[in-house]
Amino acid sequence: MLNIIRPGTNIDFASKRHIFLSLSVVVLIATCVLFFVRGLNYGIDFSGGAEIHLSVPKAWDIGKLRKELTAGGVEGLKVQQIGEPSANEYLVRAHGDEKSLGTVSGKVNETLQKTFSPTDFEIKRADVVGPAAGALLRKQGFLAMFYALLVILIYVAIRFDSRYAPGAIVALLHDSLIVLGVFMITQYQFDLTILAAILALIGYSNNDTIIVYDRVRETIHMHPEYSIEKAVNKAVNETLGRTIVTSLTTFMVVSSLWFFGGQVIKNFAFALMIGVIVGTYSSVFIASSVIIFITNYQKKRQAFENKKGKKRKQYNVRPEPKLH
Amino acid sequence: MERSWWGKFFVLVCFLVFAGIYVYPTVADLDLKKTNFPFKQKINLGLDLQGGLYMVLGIDFDNVYKDFISRQSNQLEDRLKEKSIKASNFEVLTKDYSLDDPRITFEYPAAEKEAVQQLIKDEFWSLRLTGDEQGHFQLGVSRTHRKTIRENTLNQSIEVIRNRIDEFGVSEPSITSQGADRIVVELPGVKDVERAKSLIGRTAKLEFKMVNDKDASSVNLSVLMGEAKEKGIVFDEEGTQKFSDYVRSLNEFLKVKLPKNTEISFERIQGKTGKVTSRVPYLIFSKTEVTGEDLQDAQVQYDPDTRMPAVSFSLSPRGAVLFDKLTGDNIGNRLAIVLDNIVFSAPTIQSRIGGGRGQITLGRGSHDEVLKEANDLAIVLRAGALPAQLEFMEQRVVGPSLGQDSIRNGSFAGIIGAALVFLFMVFYYRVSGVIAVASLTMNVLFVMAILVGLGATLTLPGIAGIALTIGIAVDSNVVIYERIREEVRSGKKLLAAVESGFQKAFRTIFDANITNAAAAGVLLMYGTGPIKGFAVTLLIGIVCTLFTAVFVCRLLFELYLKMLEKKTSPTLSI
Repeated sequence: MLNIIRPGTNIDFASKRHIFLSLSVVVLIATCVLFFVRGLNYGIDFSGGAEIHLSVPKAWDIGKLRKELTAGGVEGLKVQQIGEPSANEYLVRAHGDEKSLGTVSGKVNETLQKTFSPTDFEIKRADVVGPAAGALLRKQGFLAMFYALLVILIYVAIRFDSRYAPGAIVALLHDSLIVLGVFMITQYQFDLTILAAILALIGYSNNDTIIVYDRVRETIHMHPEYSIEKAVNKAVNETLGRTIVTSLTTFMVVSSLWFFGGQVIKNFAFALMIGVIVGTYSSVFIASSVIIFITNYQKKRQAFENKKGKKRKQYNVRPEPKLH
Repeated sequence: MERSWWGKFFVLVCFLVFAGIYVYPTVADLDLKKTNFPFKQKINLGLDLQGGLYMVLGIDFDNVYKDFISRQSNQLEDRLKEKSIKASNFEVLTKDYSLDDPRITFEYPAAEKEAVQQLIKDEFWSLRLTGDEQGHFQLGVSRTHRKTIRENTLNQSIEVIRNRIDEFGVSEPSITSQGADRIVVELPGVKDVERAKSLIGRTAKLEFKMVNDKDASSVNLSVLMGEAKEKGIVFDEEGTQKFSDYVRSLNEFLKVKLPKNTEISFERIQGKTGKVTSRVPYLIFSKTEVTGEDLQDAQVQYDPDTRMPAVSFSLSPRGAVLFDKLTGDNIGNRLAIVLDNIVFSAPTIQSRIGGGRGQITLGRGSHDEVLKEANDLAIVLRAGALPAQLEFMEQRVVGPSLGQDSIRNGSFAGIIGAALVFLFMVFYYRVSGVIAVASLTMNVLFVMAILVGLGATLTLPGIAGIALTIGIAVDSNVVIYERIREEVRSGKKLLAAVESGFQKAFRTIFDANITNAAAAGVLLMYGTGPIKGFAVTLLIGIVCTLFTAVFVCRLLFELYLKMLEKKTSPTLSI
């Protein structure tokens, strides 16, 4: 029997929870600062604009293309070479209103035809998103993120206990924000596929969190005499092997997508790679710490109110529902 | 083996055979037309994988409301006249009201107030009263009718686009609505993007209007246009302004200077290369005598005089009667053929034209270009006019080679990723790892079979979704195995350990997958295009994961346990 984590391992996560929580808070504050200082590099999906991916037979002077497009009322023109230098592939980006954007693709084609024979060059991809459509996609995208979190919050609150739900959501917010933060630092383009990656990540990371929570609940049920710290520690340690194995296998898949999947999904896979790492960290360290925090807070408040003589509802853990 | 096991095994084999039949044509890349294989369906590839054109079109409802309310205004005026109620000063107001709620006003004699109100209530139920003071009524379109207008416009637009594309000839086009005011058009394999765009986006509103030659001597159009130019109303051929916007502001500016019920419209003069060299203004009557709605057919024919392609049309019986009367009444005057507010030609009526046939001559250019233009014009005229102006909000073109690269790279990356996971599982869990690999393989097979069966579309993020499913599906196996290991460590016997391992793990797996599915569901609702593909594969993957983890993996484990029982000192290889 191979074991990544030796059975009976007992790492004291609970006592170090302040370290993890403060580390994450610092990172999150940094992300928020970054948002205002640097912001996300929105792709054309969200900002509106044109993006044309083309390949030509030989190295090519892009100055001419730039001049003609600028003359045609196209703003914010950027041309860059992508992929292998020998492949001679370029990415042309532009901003502007609906009408001038509509002509970008045709103008690029025209310019290329002057230099190369039509069979030699190829426009591999041409995306044009009008400013109005971009704003709409941005709004819908963030709404989607919001609804995904809301659905998970409700499910966890019903299936577990209202006390578990905040931890799950904190962990998910934590993961999404950190991935956003990494995209702010790297200034990789943030587009629809990255948003999809973050949503997939919300599902994945919550999967991890639920498995830890499930064990916490079971431990509390079997050992009611345990303090919350002890119960959480036991649960996290017992599930640690599974958490690491699963994260490892998922990481194998997304890193191979990143490495071999080609230009189009490279950033998508990158977001997932970051997400798997952060998601694992958050379910082990953050989600469990939040439960301890909330339980202790409730205990204190209860003790305080008992002192005042008011009888309040007891915050007992709901017994495990029978499912047989 | 027990009978119940064999029963379950039989079910699994049936599933596998079915899934195999569904997936085989895709994996073996069969030519569906030639093959003898009984099942003839392949996985649908998204536009990002097979190349093509994806467009989102927005509908400009503002003009639709305006057109609707001005038509209602004309009808109301006619009806009041018939009832000999003297109402006057009918006017369409757009300036002070929001664009989606234009108004009309008119004056009525105080004595007739109730009669007017009754008429509006009885016959113009789509209008609502928005103002009533000192002999003025102001009316707007009612809220419910605005909704009806929106829905009808959307549905009609989709219908018209579909007709046009059918005639254009694209295999498996998809035209759907998105929200209340957008249309998504997906055309796989289309290469000539500009042509497809002009075919879809063109309103194709055909109108026949009379040219006002009577006032030609008193109204000097070039002087008037000069006056407008001084006020900054001018069209720059190289600029980004829409020509239609220029014409609209020009007519608004000159409204007081032009004779009543007339407007300026332009004809385009093209050079040899097809480029617009100049625009000739015409003073025409605003009233539309005959419209494209009365068109019955349009075909490409050769003009006997110029030997160039032209579009000949025939009108419906009703249109023919109108046309007959119109030409009879206006011999010697010029008739303007106006398409999308641009004068195509303005021939002088030589004699009464019966039978409702006519011809639209096109601009100049090479023979091939004119022929192409004639073909497209005939298509749009036959398919009918769009009820509203469409705007291109989003447009994505994927070349065929990029799609093929994506399929190759995506599948390769997926296979490498899966191979790594399989190796790790066998290394870490030994025999149980082999069981996990078997159930994972079946999982992928089922996902693909369901994709084919549902006719869902596979996109590049979809391929990533399948790869990710492998990563996530492993988790259920890991959860089960770690549980069994714990039970074994706690001293339970083999069978009991496996039994309680599966049982305890089940609820965890179920909870985890449900929340995962919820996130994927949200993605499906809000996502568009390729992202929808990702959500679909993820959802199917989750369903298959639950099935394989609970049913398949368990079945194989029972087989493994039976084999162990024959040994003298059985230990679980996990």
